[in-house]
Amino acid sequence: MAATDQREAAFEAASSRRRDFEETLTRTAEARGTEAGAALGRASLWKDAYYRFIANKASVVASFAFVVLLAYVIFVPIFSRYDPYEVDFAQAYSPPSTEHFFGTDQFGRDLFLRTALGGRVSFAIGFAATFAIMFIGITYGAVSGFVGGRLDNGLMRFLDALYGLPYLPFAIITLAIFGTVNFWTMVVALTIASWFTTARVMRGQIITLKENDYVRAAYAVGAPRRRVLFRHLLVNTLGVIIVFVFLELPGVILGEAFLSFIGLGISPPKASWGTLAQEGYVEYQAHPYIIVIPSLMIAWLILSAFFIADGLRDALDPRMKET
Amino acid sequence: MALLEVSDLRTYFKTREGEVHAVDGVSFNVEEGKVLGIVGESGCGKSVTSLSIMGLVQNPGRVVSGSVLFDGRELTTLTDRELEDVRGRSIAMIFQDPMTSLNPVLTIGTQITETLRRHMNLSSADAKKRAIELLEEVHIPDAARRLSDYPHRFSGGMRQRVMIAMAISCNPRLLIADEPTTALDVTVQAGVLDLLDELRIQHNMTMMMITHNMGVVAEVADDILVMYAGQVVEQAPAMDLFGRPEHPYTEALLASLPHLEGENVRNGRLVSIPGRPPDLLAPPEACRFAPRCKYAGLDDCNVVAPELREVRTGHWVRSAHPTSERTAVPVGAGAP
Repeated sequence: MAATDQREAAFEAASSRRRDFEETLTRTAEARGTEAGAALGRASLWKDAYYRFIANKASVVASFAFVVLLAYVIFVPIFSRYDPYEVDFAQAYSPPSTEHFFGTDQFGRDLFLRTALGGRVSFAIGFAATFAIMFIGITYGAVSGFVGGRLDNGLMRFLDALYGLPYLPFAIITLAIFGTVNFWTMVVALTIASWFTTARVMRGQIITLKENDYVRAAYAVGAPRRRVLFRHLLVNTLGVIIVFVFLELPGVILGEAFLSFIGLGISPPKASWGTLAQEGYVEYQAHPYIIVIPSLMIAWLILSAFFIADGLRDALDPRMKET
Repeated sequence: MALLEVSDLRTYFKTREGEVHAVDGVSFNVEEGKVLGIVGESGCGKSVTSLSIMGLVQNPGRVVSGSVLFDGRELTTLTDRELEDVRGRSIAMIFQDPMTSLNPVLTIGTQITETLRRHMNLSSADAKKRAIELLEEVHIPDAARRLSDYPHRFSGGMRQRVMIAMAISCNPRLLIADEPTTALDVTVQAGVLDLLDELRIQHNMTMMMITHNMGVVAEVADDILVMYAGQVVEQAPAMDLFGRPEHPYTEALLASLPHLEGENVRNGRLVSIPGRPPDLLAPPEACRFAPRCKYAGLDDCNVVAPELREVRTGHWVRSAHPTSERTAVPVGAGAP
């Protein structure tokens, strides 16, 4: 009798477990259905990249630092109550205070304002030169890789020959040839010997990409070559391009600062971080803050740009994208 | 007149070691509304044949000679510009690997409408509408929303359906399917084949099905072309080819299919063709199958190249020893 009871109880327990299990199954199936449906509409490659970028703490901090620097450079000259060019010897060499956050220089000009203005110049030249480098490098490399064959060979050998050119001496020579230094000659001088790497990387990208099946598939539906290059291939290199922008930018800005520092770049009373550092260099023993501040600015920019580039590379890496 | 007439097509690839004769004198016709199956092992020139028809052979390959007449128009002499109008519009192609045939950074919608706008001059709104219809036609659920999805959100079978949708988007007259199911799971294969058959009938398309799967061609093809080492070795209506194969190679191919029923199937070994396919850099001068052929050596198989000839109505074969004319026992074979 007891044995039968036990069996029945066990049976009851088993069937109730089974019911629970089945309920859970249907529930999760429904939940899965809605979840999957909700997720499908939205996700994109860029969204995924964004989440990967956010996950990288150093890059997020660097982006924040970059934006702060950019805001400082843009907004301080708008709201500052000082005149960047007014000479006031009574105020000369006053150290950093609440009145003048970065102190004043030998002519009593507010350095908080002048550093921001110098940053504007540095940023503007940096962005313009980076854009030029990208434009020339991408066009050169993409055409070379895409057309291939003899043209590719010729273009690449030419590039090899140029590759030996040292960057800064070449920029100096270019400036010397122009004879004048202004915004545009600086951009040209900084671009002229620094687009080679971009071109090479671009060519390599295009060469690997153009062997993809989807390129053949695009041809098979009648897409012209031009369209295949711009529509299908260049879009695929967008990640690389973005990373390269942030890798080139600090190099170019550093180049500009160097040229200004040795007196070949922007000339006073206009300021760039290079000229400010140069002015500080003369007085570095008595008034060290004048050289320290613009140098820190340059370091700030370069570090943040590199960390951003690093994070972007991880976020946009096509090998990770596959999974 | 046949819709597609290929005659004496030769496509060679220049390499360091010499010229690879990937397609060496291939001729065949595809009648309007029919399905031609092309079978053969890897590297026998099936895919290169189809690429040559489309004018898609890339460097270092080149169509050396021969003609491709599509609806009476010679394709091999067209300029790139003119070919672009033909590709995707009159002749469409589906590739082997759907996982890599879609651009990962463009949405499905972009890729389908691209073709539509290129060939049909549709506005972007119309192209989008048509793209949704197309996706529905290839049985992709929730088509309107999936249009803005990127390819990585699609499974292999779904991607192949998208490829098919792109291929049929402009109502091509000829559809070339280059191993459309090879990269897919068996369960998905059947679905894709059914879909192709359905669309072929609805859109009144002629089709070339390239595959190395005998089961697939048996299912869908009206005529079958067997290729070996860059040449056509046998062409016949499907029933005739499977019922009475003539070429020793076809015979051997069919014999090497595994059988699931019958006596001793579990214990027997799988049959294979001895030897390996010839090096296309220096193919055998006479019959290309001779080195692996059971019947070669009886006469001048290694000296005289056999011509493609009609052994009975509609059944062409390139062999000195087609089944129906054979009297001798295979060389070195104990029992047949």
